[in-house]
Amino acid sequence: MYRIDAYHRPTSVTEAVGLLAEPARLALAGGTTIRHDGGSTPTEVVDLQALGLDRIESERDLVRIGAMVRLHDLVGHEAVPDLIRRTARSEMPSTLRTIATVGGTIGAAGSDSTFLAALLVHDASVQFADGRSVALSSVLNDGLATGELIVAVDVHASGTTAIAGTGRTPADDPIVAAVARSAEDGVRLALSGVGPTPELVEPGDLDRLEPPGDFRGSSAYRRHLAQVLSTRVLQELS
Amino acid sequence: MTTISIVLNGVAATVDAPPHESLASVLRRLGMFSVKYGSATGETGAAAVLFDGRLASADVILAPQADGHEITTVEVLNTANGLHPIQEAFVATGALQSGYSAGAMILGTMALLEHDPDPSEAAIRDMLSGILDRETGYVKPVAAVRRAAALLRGEEVEPCVPIVLEPMTDGTNAVVVDADDAGPQADPALPRLIPSVDVPELAVVGHAEAKVDGLKLAKGNPAFTDDIEMRGLLYAKVLYSPHAHARIVDIDDRAATALPGVHAVLHHRNTPRVKYASGGQSWPNPHPYDQVSFDDKVRHVGDRVAAVAAETIEIAEEAVRLIEVTYEVLPAVFDELEAMQPGAPIIHDEADTHDIHDRDRNIVHHFEAERGDVNAAIEAAPHVFERTFRVHQVQQVPIEPHITIAWLDADERMVVRTATQVPFHTRRMLAPLIGMEVKRIRVIKPRIGGGFGAKQEMLIEDIAAHLAIATRRPVRLELTREEEFWASRTRHPQTITFRSAVDDDGNLVAQHMRLVGNTGAYGTHGYTVQAVSGLRGLSSYNCPNKRFDCDVAYTNIPVPGAYRGYGAPQALFALEAHMEDIARGIDRDPLEFKRQNWVTVGDELDIAPHIGERATDDAVELDEYPKVHSSGIEECVAQGQRSIGWHRRLDPAWREPADRPHIRRGLGFAFCMHGSGIPFLDMGGCSIKLNDDGSFNMLVGATDLGTGADTVLGQIAAEVLGVALDDIIVYSSDTDMTPFDTGAYASSTTYISGTAVLHAAEAVRKRIKERAAEMLGVDEPCTIELHDKRAWAPDGTSVSMEELALHTLHWEDQEQIMGTASYMSPDCPPPFAAQFVEIEVDVQTGQVEVIKMTMAVDCGVAINPITASGQVEGGMTQALGYAHCEEFAFDSGGRMLNDRLGPYKIYRADEMPDTEVFLVQTLEDSGPFGAKAVAEIPKDGVAPAIRNAIINATGVAIDDLPFTPERVWAALDSA
Repeated sequence: MYRIDAYHRPTSVTEAVGLLAEPARLALAGGTTIRHDGGSTPTEVVDLQALGLDRIESERDLVRIGAMVRLHDLVGHEAVPDLIRRTARSEMPSTLRTIATVGGTIGAAGSDSTFLAALLVHDASVQFADGRSVALSSVLNDGLATGELIVAVDVHASGTTAIAGTGRTPADDPIVAAVARSAEDGVRLALSGVGPTPELVEPGDLDRLEPPGDFRGSSAYRRHLAQVLSTRVLQELS
Repeated sequence: MTTISIVLNGVAATVDAPPHESLASVLRRLGMFSVKYGSATGETGAAAVLFDGRLASADVILAPQADGHEITTVEVLNTANGLHPIQEAFVATGALQSGYSAGAMILGTMALLEHDPDPSEAAIRDMLSGILDRETGYVKPVAAVRRAAALLRGEEVEPCVPIVLEPMTDGTNAVVVDADDAGPQADPALPRLIPSVDVPELAVVGHAEAKVDGLKLAKGNPAFTDDIEMRGLLYAKVLYSPHAHARIVDIDDRAATALPGVHAVLHHRNTPRVKYASGGQSWPNPHPYDQVSFDDKVRHVGDRVAAVAAETIEIAEEAVRLIEVTYEVLPAVFDELEAMQPGAPIIHDEADTHDIHDRDRNIVHHFEAERGDVNAAIEAAPHVFERTFRVHQVQQVPIEPHITIAWLDADERMVVRTATQVPFHTRRMLAPLIGMEVKRIRVIKPRIGGGFGAKQEMLIEDIAAHLAIATRRPVRLELTREEEFWASRTRHPQTITFRSAVDDDGNLVAQHMRLVGNTGAYGTHGYTVQAVSGLRGLSSYNCPNKRFDCDVAYTNIPVPGAYRGYGAPQALFALEAHMEDIARGIDRDPLEFKRQNWVTVGDELDIAPHIGERATDDAVELDEYPKVHSSGIEECVAQGQRSIGWHRRLDPAWREPADRPHIRRGLGFAFCMHGSGIPFLDMGGCSIKLNDDGSFNMLVGATDLGTGADTVLGQIAAEVLGVALDDIIVYSSDTDMTPFDTGAYASSTTYISGTAVLHAAEAVRKRIKERAAEMLGVDEPCTIELHDKRAWAPDGTSVSMEELALHTLHWEDQEQIMGTASYMSPDCPPPFAAQFVEIEVDVQTGQVEVIKMTMAVDCGVAINPITASGQVEGGMTQALGYAHCEEFAFDSGGRMLNDRLGPYKIYRADEMPDTEVFLVQTLEDSGPFGAKAVAEIPKDGVAPAIRNAIINATGVAIDDLPFTPERVWAALDSA
């Protein structure tokens, strides 16, 4: 819960990076995860909508998705791999998917996000304003440091994919989901709902998982789901 | 402040806003009242607008983010005359119940059809996925989008009328349903109507009339509690307890009071201590009176501590944070069985709460009722079965949260505009709390965005009124979505044990229901909800020996209260599960076994008079017991069996699909029986007067919360008076203007308020006939007939209603033709229903998917088949959530962990099972035009039907709700 005291809308990445270097400023992508209805933490927001980060470009196997691309825009985009399109749809309902962005979803690093799991198996790398390119798995692991600004995410489009999840209802965020992609350089498996953020997992390491439990699924149950669902997606690809 | 320039509905607009203000709030300030508050986090979609042409929740968008963008609200479609075709489609299909989210759904349709003039069902459901409108079950909204698309493509559309089906039975006897008969294939939004030969064809009653409030809802016109603007309005916020159980040792309000913009801070030290019970029920309300406006003790996380009125919401929130409270934290107890154990913390230890059954054991009520001798019968019986079931806490989730605006009018009377199901109870219950007489209070119920029982409560009105008195300014108090979960009302958790005996022929000979209800921190509806559980749990089946034992326990959970179904869904889950188990135990087909024992026409409802607020001592044998006079259950069962493909339950190839090795399929059934109002208690009044043009004003105390009550009551009056529905101007409800009504609960409105309307209209009709006879020179007024807005003599001469009105108002023997009536019912005719479900179980993960829900209901004559089927669709969808995915999760300190939609999961449009609704007509002689109730029975059967389907699929019986994946997996794993 934040108390938003000021709003900035920079028009260049350089300006945005400058603004975000100040403490107590928050990058505002879509805004679906920022609670602004009260709260006592004084905050200024830096809206990224005018930075031109909303393009999707593809070159051969590589698709570059701008940080401010809305999840809704991925759903219907032909250059975007099917699994990413599908999970962009399931990530949010219609009225929020038009607001939520790719960069914001990475920043929020939700444990239940199948969209992030899909990016992981598509070998995503996160492009920062300072020119660094960092594997998404590292970004999710380490979190974003103050002042860091995501400008895009690169994914590899090739390969075949599979997804399986278990939820309370068909459109529920899965308690655990497994996604897998088979490409020239091998098979990647990612899981959501088994740790603080979605993660790439080696099939042989599944029994080493120690998922935190909650009311939707205990640790033991999540470990069981990880096994069952991983087996399903890997079988589907084999 | 930042200055924001937007293009709003095609016109440039500039507005100043602080950086934290949401776009939704700014749009409402600009007069776009169609943009509604459902939460601050966007999941309800009630505030969805088009942002550069795309549907987006304006409550999560900061107003400055919208600077330079195009914003469209539903007001863009509004013209002086009529409705846009999309709005028209939503009204015609019955897609708007409360209509709270109408603007969002209509805008979403507009955006969808712009890109795709002929969208698939999947595309429609995807568009609706962000707008939570489960009160409709999304069935009719999908049909509305389809219809709008056809209208915009310029196609002719069929009227929205029921699909009339041939009966499959003779009305009394069971039939074998042909496995090859797939039944009607038609739009699921159209109810399947099975007419009865006993029911005559009428002009208005029985027809799918459009809702009388359709226009204002479809246009997003300001009709709801929050849709008024008042000069000098103050905003209230409440400080809630962070502890499940604590004493307030000290409270320091100095910093809060000193904050600029704060006008009042109220708490137990400066507010009179007046005891009350908050449940919206008839005088004198079930005791104990165990609440006060502000107490020196808190009994659940979310209990009230203090309240503030300030110039803005932000100042009020800041003031709440500045109130310093010193608590002495006490041990807490959350489980109803643990609360009754020795040594449990005593939750109501205060001296001024009287009539607690056993204070030291937290037992607020204990009651029992018996017919025959259960113990002796069980002793003697060859087969005895016992099983314990546990049901959980869920919330009503009206998309419009509780909201009240209170002010002193020019006469310094207290006016309370509030989202309530019980305006008259609220007026009476509020009076002592604020120290004003009833005559100095006026309660207004505008349009309501759903209630489902949560608003059968005097919940926040006292806070707003206290603050209005303290400040002499209008005060607005609205709960947030989070507060709605833990500071309003919920469904009672229960532990239910059934013990039953059957003879060798499969006849029930004894049934003992032992119930422990969890009423949380306060009693409110604790007595009556558990009483209804006993009534419903022991009424469905004939049995010579029945016994009900009930304890109601205080605990430290957020307070349960009224929730549509009111104790019946809990009881019927246990009962229908238990009956299924008995059938399997004696190797009988469950449906056959139930049929052998269920009540039907002529059977006595013998426990009913001995349970409840006006119970007769069970030692007293009454001269007469209520009986069932109408039942269409066999037709319901036949239609439901055909719809669900009931024969498949015995087909192993279907149950274990070869191509999906981890899937098992199953079908389940539940027999449902409910009531129609509370006999000898519920009462409704109506007054009708004739206007110059031959139209009528009809004033009813009955409280339409989106159910279509105003429409149904208007249809009854129109039928009697021989006019069209649009000649009846319905107004509900306002304690200064309309006659009394107990309110919208207990499935009473159609049956009880409807009979009051019938009688008032008959009184008006009598006088119209007398005056028409004079005008037409007829000796016998009773020979005059009213139809087509004219009064007709036997010789075919006639006078129009307008001529008659002008004559009697202005010309000769001037009088106001008017009539009033009220009605209290000695009867409570049960509606019956057959609930069927089809499910799939993933036996490796425990995930249950519900594929189809069919309910065939005998609600007597459906006054309006479209609104009646809408009630069933929405009710089943809520019942599905109860069975399948909704639950309160708490940490060890009693703090709710999932007080947000999403983590608290309610069904949305893109994940719904198929639904099919059948309305089986019977003629209930005691009801208006043969009607019985329909509002609550759809809540009763889904949970047991799913449980029984899981048995059919896997052989495993699960006795706790909800059927979430881990629970089912654990049950399969240990089987």
